[in-house]
Amino acid sequence: MSQFINSEQDAKDFLPRYRILYALIAFTFTIFFIRLWYLQIINGNELRQFSEQNSIKETKIPAPRGIIYDRNGEILVENLPGFEATISPQYVTDLNATSIAVARALGMEAQAVYQAVVKSKRLNGPFRSVNIKDNLSRDEIFNLEVIKQDYSGIDIKENVLRSYPLKEDGAQLFGYVSEVSKKQLPILNDKYEGKLKFQQGDMIGKAGIEEMLDIYLRGKDGISVQQVDARGREALSTKLLGNLAGLTAATAGDNVILTIDKDLQEATYKAFTGQGHIGAAVAMKVNGEILSWVSGPSFDPNEFSTRISSELWAKLINDPDKPLRNKVIQDHNSPGSTFKPLVAISALCENKITANTVVSCPGMLKFAGRPYHDTVKGGHGNLVVTQAIEQSANIFFYKMGILLGIEDMFKYIDLMGIGHRTGIELPGERTGLMPNKIWKQQTIGEEWQPGENLSVAIGQGFVLTTPLQMAVAYNAIGNGGKIVKPFVIKRVLGPDNKVIKEYEPEVIRDVTDTSLPVHIRPDVLETVRQGLRLVVNGERGTARRSKLSFVEMAGKTGTSQVMSFSADNLFINCMDRPRHQRHHGWFIGYAPADHPEIAIGVLSEHACHGSNAAPVAKEIVRAYVAKYHPDWLAHEPKKKLRESTGPGPADERIENE
Amino acid sequence: MATASSRQFQVHNRTFLQKIDWNFALSIFFLNVIGLINLYSATRGHGEITSNRLFYSQVFWLAAGWVLYFAVTLLEYQVFLRLSYLIYALNLSALFAVMAFGKVALGARRWIDFGFFSYQPSESMKVSLVLILARIMSQRSYPDGLGIKELIFPLVFLIGLPFVIVALQPDLGTALMIFLIGASVLFFLKIKTRILMAVTITLVIGGAGGWFFAAQPYQKDRVYTFFDPGRDPKGKGYNSIQSKIAVGSGKVFGKGFRKGTQAQLEFLPERHTDFIFSVLSEEHGFVGSIITIGFFATLFVLGIRIASQARDKSGSILVIGVLAILFWHYFINISMVIGLLPIVGVPLPLISYGGSNMLTIMAALGLISSVSMRRHMF
Repeated sequence: MSQFINSEQDAKDFLPRYRILYALIAFTFTIFFIRLWYLQIINGNELRQFSEQNSIKETKIPAPRGIIYDRNGEILVENLPGFEATISPQYVTDLNATSIAVARALGMEAQAVYQAVVKSKRLNGPFRSVNIKDNLSRDEIFNLEVIKQDYSGIDIKENVLRSYPLKEDGAQLFGYVSEVSKKQLPILNDKYEGKLKFQQGDMIGKAGIEEMLDIYLRGKDGISVQQVDARGREALSTKLLGNLAGLTAATAGDNVILTIDKDLQEATYKAFTGQGHIGAAVAMKVNGEILSWVSGPSFDPNEFSTRISSELWAKLINDPDKPLRNKVIQDHNSPGSTFKPLVAISALCENKITANTVVSCPGMLKFAGRPYHDTVKGGHGNLVVTQAIEQSANIFFYKMGILLGIEDMFKYIDLMGIGHRTGIELPGERTGLMPNKIWKQQTIGEEWQPGENLSVAIGQGFVLTTPLQMAVAYNAIGNGGKIVKPFVIKRVLGPDNKVIKEYEPEVIRDVTDTSLPVHIRPDVLETVRQGLRLVVNGERGTARRSKLSFVEMAGKTGTSQVMSFSADNLFINCMDRPRHQRHHGWFIGYAPADHPEIAIGVLSEHACHGSNAAPVAKEIVRAYVAKYHPDWLAHEPKKKLRESTGPGPADERIENE
Repeated sequence: MATASSRQFQVHNRTFLQKIDWNFALSIFFLNVIGLINLYSATRGHGEITSNRLFYSQVFWLAAGWVLYFAVTLLEYQVFLRLSYLIYALNLSALFAVMAFGKVALGARRWIDFGFFSYQPSESMKVSLVLILARIMSQRSYPDGLGIKELIFPLVFLIGLPFVIVALQPDLGTALMIFLIGASVLFFLKIKTRILMAVTITLVIGGAGGWFFAAQPYQKDRVYTFFDPGRDPKGKGYNSIQSKIAVGSGKVFGKGFRKGTQAQLEFLPERHTDFIFSVLSEEHGFVGSIITIGFFATLFVLGIRIASQARDKSGSILVIGVLAILFWHYFINISMVIGLLPIVGVPLPLISYGGSNMLTIMAALGLISSVSMRRHMF
């Protein structure tokens, strides 16, 4: 049949070769069997786990942070829902094309998108999604949805933006939130070990209340488990996932109620910045509840919620006026003349003078061969202590300094809380400084010089105080001796408004308590109160321009020198100097004078004079009365004092050493 | 058939169904079924290969393949051997044609586009080569094995020509496959020992030379990543790692039909073609994998038996050649999927999606069936 028929010998030759082939097939089968056994039986569990991680993407659902309310339930800090566009670098196949498409969809520069992804990839690696734009509009979301299927790695995420409706107002008090930095990550994880675990991309409170109460405010992030494909896109069906699919809902953070009064806060901010001040202004209820808290210049914390630009950050950091600093407690300065009432207390307590002791106050005093000038060339004549406070007579207090010496001043002023933290919960409070001989010996290694008694007596020299510290001391004078612990957090409310934490007013000590080794007689405080009342309401008071017709405010102005000047320069008009050489103006006070309800501290940096700080206090008191005692506004004041028509500069110009 | 004399036709008709090797055909059929089930799963995930189109076109090719199988079975295989010169020449021309105006895909010219069907001449070349080798090498006996003189023609021309053309496409995987298939046939015919040694040495040197001077960077990368897939888990080693994860995660019984997360979620590349076996392993586990490999082994054993019972030497060589086609695809594909070999784009016969491959393989298996129908018992 065929020409290919061959010998049977040939066919027989082939037989052993078939056996080899059978063996080869068996051998191959065995190898595959062993390998499959190894992969599927021995390593099966491990590889199964791998495959599950492969396809399951855990997405964090950020918990909405707790809302911060004022004492009346008004919102101070809240959250606004929004959408952000992100790119996950590890899923991007062609970054160039993706950047161009995304940029077109969002109306951005393609270069900016490209750079953002490349930069984040370099800094954080490819697995961290990169925020491209926050607060997407409806159109932008639609545009992104259209291109999402064509370019892998694009995501639209729901996010919650922290919102500060008061903006710059109170920014240092409320703080801000921003992304945890790589450096902070291990530090925070150590700090909250066992309680919280921070990851890259987490938002954390970074200053003020946001930082302090972060653990309450931040809530608990939820996790959504999604099945994703190899490009990170969500799978259309969740059938495969079985019981692994799911969602752990986020738990909102605890709400916080502050002692702040929003209206007063706004009034304080308006009065302070409206008059062009920088520095600090704080108002506190007599029991220690902070009502308003302003530090200037300020910044808009909303900028941080949407990833602050590096230019803006650099600007904030390098600003010589330190907008990020909370100057109510984080800066201390010489209190200047606002210190004098404390010196008066010491002199009265030590019986160096009585309320009726008349002291002559010429224009100049020679001490240890050195002249000490008053601010008024001719001097103030003969003054009793209340008048000396009213007119801020330097010579009077120089004499008190000489009579008392540093140790006697230290005794009482230390008791009033100067040189000690007030104990407010906020971070970074400065202690201030009330010097004495031992302190100088220990820190500077020098003997106390008698001349330094004179400097301290007018609040210069080594003395340093914060505005809050002074407000607490004056509050004690006003309320009859109670040093209170100021506080700004009233309550932390958990789910269902259950009170988790509550802060009660606290009196640290009553300086009139006779069981104390050093204490202050109530009549001494009364005398000083008279003086403080006259400062605003007296005919020669240094803050008389800030007198209110419907309520008596008491307080004291002060000027703290930023630089020392030679005697020749002393009377050069402060306003003619470069801004950063100008003096700080202080006003510390309380109101109403006879039965104080609030204490106020104002530090106006480079304002030249305390009389420029007093109007801020005046506006705060006006706002307070308008809100809490509107009926007073209708009443005529009991004592009708001469309207403050004083033109020109106030009597007090510069307190000098 | 209608033109054949009625007498002859009746004889054929009566004996056809009885003489056919049903065990062999059934093994093929079972593998086809496994392949279809698997392809259904692999192509019905979400993503770009979503369509049922692939599945139904595979069903069509399979049907066409079986028609071809029985047609070839029915025909005397000697007809093909007689036509083998022509078939080989036509196929070689087709390869040249591809070089000139073929369709570029995946960076290489491999297809001739007929509109409804892309024909890949390098696929059919494997069968053409087996046919011409069976024809030429069966004409003489080589009791002492093949010497240099006897080897030069088949090696340099019959195997060498298509090898070079395909390698230039460039499709080194298929080129090597052509070489392996041809070489397997020559091995079966026995090669003189000293030549074997010489060839081994040449291969080592040639391999080294090829590595340093001719290998494309992507080919080198594949080899590098085979030895260390972790060096670039999201890049070049990705396929290897994902495939191993897919196979291993199947454990004993698998994740279930269409429940393979690796496959359904597109972690597996080319999951309907080259990586079809990982889909199978993932969804049907160790048990499903072994059953599939078992069917292949059965097919080979039955095939070798047919070769040993062939009526003549050309039949034996033909069967061995076709088995070599099947075996090398099977061996390389599965080794690659389970991480025993670097990633080379080789489909798994009877299981992977692909018209050219399916038709070629079914026709080739038809040749075995044809030999089996006309067997002699020794």
